[in-house]
Amino acid sequence: MAGKIVSIHSFRGGTGKSNTTANLASQVALTGKRVGVVDTDIQSPGIHVLFGLDEQKMGKTLNDFLHGKATIREVGFSVGDNPGDGEGLVKLAGKNLFLFPSSIKGGDISQILREGIDFNMLNEGLQTAITEFELDYLFIDTHPGLNEETLLSIATSDILIIILRPDSQDLQGTSVTVDIARSLDVPNLFLMVNKALPKYDFAGIKSDIEKQFQATVTSVLPLSFDMAENASKDLFSLRYPDHEWSVALKKVVPYILEAK
Amino acid sequence: MSDAILQKIRKTEFFKELSDAATSAVAENASVRHYVPNETVMRKGDPADSFFVILDGHLKIVTTDAKGDEIIINKVGPGEAIGELALVDDRPRSAGVIALDEVEVLELTKEAFFKLLEQRLDVSLGILRGFSNRLRFSTTYIEKVIDWSQKTAAGDYSFLEQTQPITNPAGSDDAKAAQLLSTFYSMVRKVKEREDDLKHELERLTFEIDQERRKREFDEITSTEFYANLKEQAKALRQKRNSK
Ligand SMILES: Nc1ncnc2c1ncn2[C@@H]1O[C@H](COP(=O)(O)OP(=O)(O)OP(=O)(O)O)[C@@H](O)[C@H]1O
Ligand SMILES: [Mg+2]
Repeated sequence: MAGKIVSIHSFRGGTGKSNTTANLASQVALTGKRVGVVDTDIQSPGIHVLFGLDEQKMGKTLNDFLHGKATIREVGFSVGDNPGDGEGLVKLAGKNLFLFPSSIKGGDISQILREGIDFNMLNEGLQTAITEFELDYLFIDTHPGLNEETLLSIATSDILIIILRPDSQDLQGTSVTVDIARSLDVPNLFLMVNKALPKYDFAGIKSDIEKQFQATVTSVLPLSFDMAENASKDLFSLRYPDHEWSVALKKVVPYILEAK
Repeated sequence: MSDAILQKIRKTEFFKELSDAATSAVAENASVRHYVPNETVMRKGDPADSFFVILDGHLKIVTTDAKGDEIIINKVGPGEAIGELALVDDRPRSAGVIALDEVEVLELTKEAFFKLLEQRLDVSLGILRGFSNRLRFSTTYIEKVIDWSQKTAAGDYSFLEQTQPITNPAGSDDAKAAQLLSTFYSMVRKVKEREDDLKHELERLTFEIDQERRKREFDEITSTEFYANLKEQAKALRQKRNSK
């Protein structure tokens, strides 16, 4: 069976897409699956940091592929072979987790923004990544909002996870994405709430949002100072597996593994 | 006892109905005590074997709530009496009393008090008059509860902010009334807490989606040529992958 594309999306920026994508992909890799992570947030890439990759360590990028300067095989960076030195990251040693980073060089970013993305090429790249790396799951970290590359990632995904904060502004924006996902026949649509103030009734939030959208809310993740302080350096859910945020994040894993 | 003290005694609520001679008789049978700030004057549960009339300074009358936190049920000052009801009803102290500043009180023991009542009709009559005044004043508590009830019913919880639930000018440790007040006070506080919790839930329940805007934005995106192509491609892609 072909590998599945899992897109992680949010209406607003800073909702936690990159952290969720990196942690979810790692959790799935820990179960023994072969996992890829693509950063399609070409304008403001960021997920590489969570895997301990910096500009020096970064080899070929998605930008090189899109400009015909590298193959997908060359772009794929094996996190399992080069785990960072974070307490959480080292747990990925030997796992099959591959990162397909976007370039963080200013010149590369402005070039691609100027020239635009060849969608057929990006699409082909995603499919090639799955076949060449024999991936079970390819996670896509997207740019917030509904720009063209995000629409493409939604269109090609087998599983779409929309992250939202529990407030009306996010619900409004999310409602459009949900409609788009349905219009594009995305087979598996899930919502995940992040940054919920602990004083709220999480079960209530879950059921309210499920009712609004007639879609599954996998879990509600708390707004947490620990997370704000420690994330973005290491993989939080691997480093603090028993933390409330990690426990709620791990609840998403079975939805991914069981999706048809 | 000095004239200054006699003057002060005469100004107290409890003894103000007494004649000069009766006041002197009281002074002769009582003793003056001093307390420093935060010093405990009475403990809840102590045997009630004397009562005090405040000559100078202020004291707080305290009890504890279910969690063991101190609740100030009253503040008393010069001219007010404390512990006098317990003298008559023979029960232990129903609340604690702590000095807030430098305090001077006149202490009259139960024994001396009864001796005075027995021997001097003028003292007895004066005190009786004082008590009947007090009885009138204790309706202050009831009025307070009525006032709070009306405010609570109207959703006005502003009185909770005044952490000291009462400043009764009549001064009193009328135990049962004070207890009623403090129970009422904590009840209202709990009602308010529950109401606040409920408000959070209401906030959560008022997630409102503007359906018109939702549709408008959906139409804007889906009406483009890009989108039409994308939809076609996505369909083809899925068919291809499903057939694999
Ligand atoms: N539950 C949380 N509690 C506290 N801080 C959080 C939580 N989730 C994420 N953060 C923090 O919020 C910030 C944004 O997270 P992240 O980069 O994952 O979001 P994003 O959606 O990818 O943002 P962007 O739209 O900029 O790509 C980060 O600093 C992260 O540490
Ligand atoms: Mg991001």
